[in-house]
Amino acid sequence: MLTMIIQIAVAFVATVSFAVLFQVPKEQYVYSGICGAAGWWCYLLVMANYPSPTVSSFAAVVVLTIMARVFAVYRKTPVTVFLICGLFPLVPGAGIYYTAYNFIMGYNDLAVAKGIETIKIAVAIALAIVFAFSMPKLLFTFASKRDRR
Amino acid sequence: MNESRKVLELTTRIGEVLLKNGGEIFRVQETMQRIAKAYGVEGFHVYVLANGIFASIEEDGRQICQQLQVGNGEKDSDDLVVASQIRYIPLSSIHLGRVAAVNNLSREIVAKKYTMEEARKKIEEIDKIPFTNNLLQIFVSGLGSGAFCYLLGGSLIDSLASFLSGILLWCFVLYLSKKGANKIMLNILSSALVTLTGILMFRYVFGENMDKIIIGSIIPLLPGVPLTNSIRDFLNGDYLSGTIRMIDAVLVACCIALGVGVVLRVFQIVTGMPV
Repeated sequence: MLTMIIQIAVAFVATVSFAVLFQVPKEQYVYSGICGAAGWWCYLLVMANYPSPTVSSFAAVVVLTIMARVFAVYRKTPVTVFLICGLFPLVPGAGIYYTAYNFIMGYNDLAVAKGIETIKIAVAIALAIVFAFSMPKLLFTFASKRDRR
Repeated sequence: MNESRKVLELTTRIGEVLLKNGGEIFRVQETMQRIAKAYGVEGFHVYVLANGIFASIEEDGRQICQQLQVGNGEKDSDDLVVASQIRYIPLSSIHLGRVAAVNNLSREIVAKKYTMEEARKKIEEIDKIPFTNNLLQIFVSGLGSGAFCYLLGGSLIDSLASFLSGILLWCFVLYLSKKGANKIMLNILSSALVTLTGILMFRYVFGENMDKIIIGSIIPLLPGVPLTNSIRDFLNGDYLSGTIRMIDAVLVACCIALGVGVVLRVFQIVTGMPV
């Protein structure tokens, strides 16, 4: 439990770091941090019950994208601002590393396995974003403060 | 006629700022159309690519056409500039703050809060919103690297090592971009640098898992922005721009892998140590 809280807090810090790095406006830092932390929390939860990085990434990105859309309406800011920063913990950086490592060390079968896993995760992320964006816009207008557009 | 011409110039300028700083294709198109409509121009057509904007206004059967190549600075509306060049927009130039600011501006223009002159001034101001200062960027790069190293299973010591190489990484990235290094070289060189510092730190200073240290510190280079934008472009039916950005993302990922792999291998060959 404690490790989970620490993990989520670290994910928050990590996301906010990237929000600063990508010049997100100051007043949105906290919100993009929440998106990233929520995504990571969901990833950990699914991982604990069904240890597949692909499935976990999919679930996490769906949650993350939905939150980003809600915040986008609520804060009247382009959804990209929240989405890009929150997505960073889930982009398969480790996969890229292990693929390169095994490839260059000559462990070809491991390299192929890791490469395919990396591509699978990337596809899962893409599908999750598509899925969450296909939900009708009307579902999100509840977050709007009066003048809705 | 003159009036529409000004509207065309304004909308194209706004679209340019939006696209340059990492807006999605449909956002650029929609914003431009909304603004043109808000200023009472009817026959406004726009086509946006990942690296170019084509906009035209029809009036009295005559057509002014403004083709603008983003980033080229050529803006003489009488000159037809054919946008057929691919220009990579370097990672460091993504500025989501400007995207958000343009979004607000367009909302206010549609609500008829600005005259054209004011909007014109406003967009120039937005284009000059500064980047956060370099020291802060360097610090958050380190912070992000350390945090990711921890998230991906590194120990506290590893995170500290990752923090240090993240700081070094961003200093190097800033230095290279100031020198105008090309994007491919920038990614290969910087990932090679962090791999080298990762190995050295692990071997001679401190650190428990070399792989976690290196993974943590390559994270700031990852193509998260082009990946996300490309998916969103595909989703909105802008397949061509989606493809361009997808290639961009894959290319950056390959460059990172190359930088990491080569350094690991060379280190192994030179020192004979297993890595």
